[in-house]
Amino acid sequence: MSTRQTGLERTNEFIHRHAATLAVVPVLIVTLVFYFGSTIWSVAMSFTASKVFPDMSFVGLRNYKRLFGDNLWSLSIQNLGVFLVGSLVSLALGFFLAVLLDGKNVGERVFRTIYLYPMAVSLIITGLVWQWLFNPSMGLQQFFRDLGLKDFVFNWVGDKNKVMYAVVLASVWQGTGFYMILCSAGIKGIDSEVWQASRIDGISKFRMYLEVIIPMMKFTFVTSFVLLAIGAVKAYDIIVAMTNAGPGGHSEMPSYFIVDMYTNRQNIALGASGSTMLLLIVLAFMIPIGVINLLVKKRK
Amino acid sequence: MRIVPEIRSAMVLPNRIPPKNPVSTVVIYLVLVVFAVLFAMPLYVMIVTSLKSMDEIRLGHIFALPQNPTIAPWDYAWNTAASGFLNKGLKSGFWNSIKILVPSLVMSVVISSFCGYALACWHVKFGGILLSCLLLCAFIPFQIIMYPLIKMTAAVKLYNTSFGVSVIHTILALPILTMIFKNFFSSIPTDLIKASRVDGGRFLGTFVHVVLPLSPNIMIVVAIMQITGIWNDFLVGLTFGNVQAYPMTVNLNNITQTQIGVRTYDVYMAAAMLTAIPPLVIYFISGKMFIRGITAGALKG
Repeated sequence: MSTRQTGLERTNEFIHRHAATLAVVPVLIVTLVFYFGSTIWSVAMSFTASKVFPDMSFVGLRNYKRLFGDNLWSLSIQNLGVFLVGSLVSLALGFFLAVLLDGKNVGERVFRTIYLYPMAVSLIITGLVWQWLFNPSMGLQQFFRDLGLKDFVFNWVGDKNKVMYAVVLASVWQGTGFYMILCSAGIKGIDSEVWQASRIDGISKFRMYLEVIIPMMKFTFVTSFVLLAIGAVKAYDIIVAMTNAGPGGHSEMPSYFIVDMYTNRQNIALGASGSTMLLLIVLAFMIPIGVINLLVKKRK
Repeated sequence: MRIVPEIRSAMVLPNRIPPKNPVSTVVIYLVLVVFAVLFAMPLYVMIVTSLKSMDEIRLGHIFALPQNPTIAPWDYAWNTAASGFLNKGLKSGFWNSIKILVPSLVMSVVISSFCGYALACWHVKFGGILLSCLLLCAFIPFQIIMYPLIKMTAAVKLYNTSFGVSVIHTILALPILTMIFKNFFSSIPTDLIKASRVDGGRFLGTFVHVVLPLSPNIMIVVAIMQITGIWNDFLVGLTFGNVQAYPMTVNLNNITQTQIGVRTYDVYMAAAMLTAIPPLVIYFISGKMFIRGITAGALKG
């Protein structure tokens, strides 16, 4: 009895002394096992002959050769580029709205609330409602034809050359409010002396933004660009809800391709090599920015 | 003496350049209103469509108010709409989403706040390295860890259960939440922590009596971020759940995609509204807190 009690006391003492370390352990395990371990597992699997089931025999770069020979994968990379360039519109529009809203006291909150609410709903809903708006016989196309524009064509979702523009439009609707918030914070962070100096110099407001404010907001824009890139790499839900990668794979995105490989097409190794490429794309964005940040910090 | 009025005007004037004339103010407000209408339009279309009958929808007046408003689509979407093998409507997805949300919210907040607190206020060996690793984790795309996570959850019989989905949400949230908590707790004056330790306060006691009372705001921000994020998730629920455990978003997508033949947009829009209402209510109530959450959690995933 007594030895058991001292044993319990000893455990208690141990917990108290190492409480801080123990509190870190769960996160440490998650990091090492579920993130780093899983990443290594996936990368390793991309060099194997796995199909429906894991098969750990080494096949070199065969999966990568097959991946780059896959028409859908090349389409998805192309569409990733379109999506990325297209989402720059949400950054530009977000900045524009932030500038217009800056310093407005009347109605600022109402406008901000309206611009940002799409951010609160699921991308599945965004995809669904925009698919409905693009419906050729009952949606926006019909509305404009009723107004008298008899030949108006707005069936982007059904058009293989325009389907990506439809996806980009929907995601711009969803994301603009967010970039507006980031830009607003960036503008508010600019020293008030800068504004007063410009007023004394008497330069126009337009030139002020173009030549002084935009260069000063470099950090905001770099952050936004990283987030845009990550958003493009992650884009999955909106494709599922809006187009299912159609018509004929013309709105295929890397994220969709990989999940499709793992689930419907049951080609584990090809999915793994696709996701390894995705990781490399993210690193290609991150490493230069990380290096620049380090250099800037060192200079300071 | 001459410069005095100038100084005074410089002091009284706001930091921003005042608009030069009323015309530019009017133009700016006009542009703002036009964009507000464009942004609000899809929500308006969702609401009016969900209150129309299919016959009325087929007329093709997408912006028209419903002539005979009906809540039949809402009722059908909630109770009977077919998704996959079940004809139970969205309500099963709603309860699944709650079942997924509650455990993952509790687990992610408890684990990450403890870890963030330990890293910020106590000496932890290699804490700095762990933080760098967490930042790296925040950039790893979910797709690359998806398949190994499926295998691991399957090995412990969590795959295809709602608790399994909760566990995955917790894993995905931990890096970013830990960083958010660490940053916040670092701003607590160290003297307060030291004083508590001198008084004999240990790890848990200091957390409960000193740190928690100072952090209701950050807790609310994180909770809002997690609730809306998990509620709106689709991919995790789809890949780690099954017919019995699918969250509302997967349920919604199944309703819109498993139907053969006529596409009933009245029901789809009602279903979309039902799924969107919980996060929208949180959004409209919480305001600034929501904004802080999405900016802090921007790197999530």
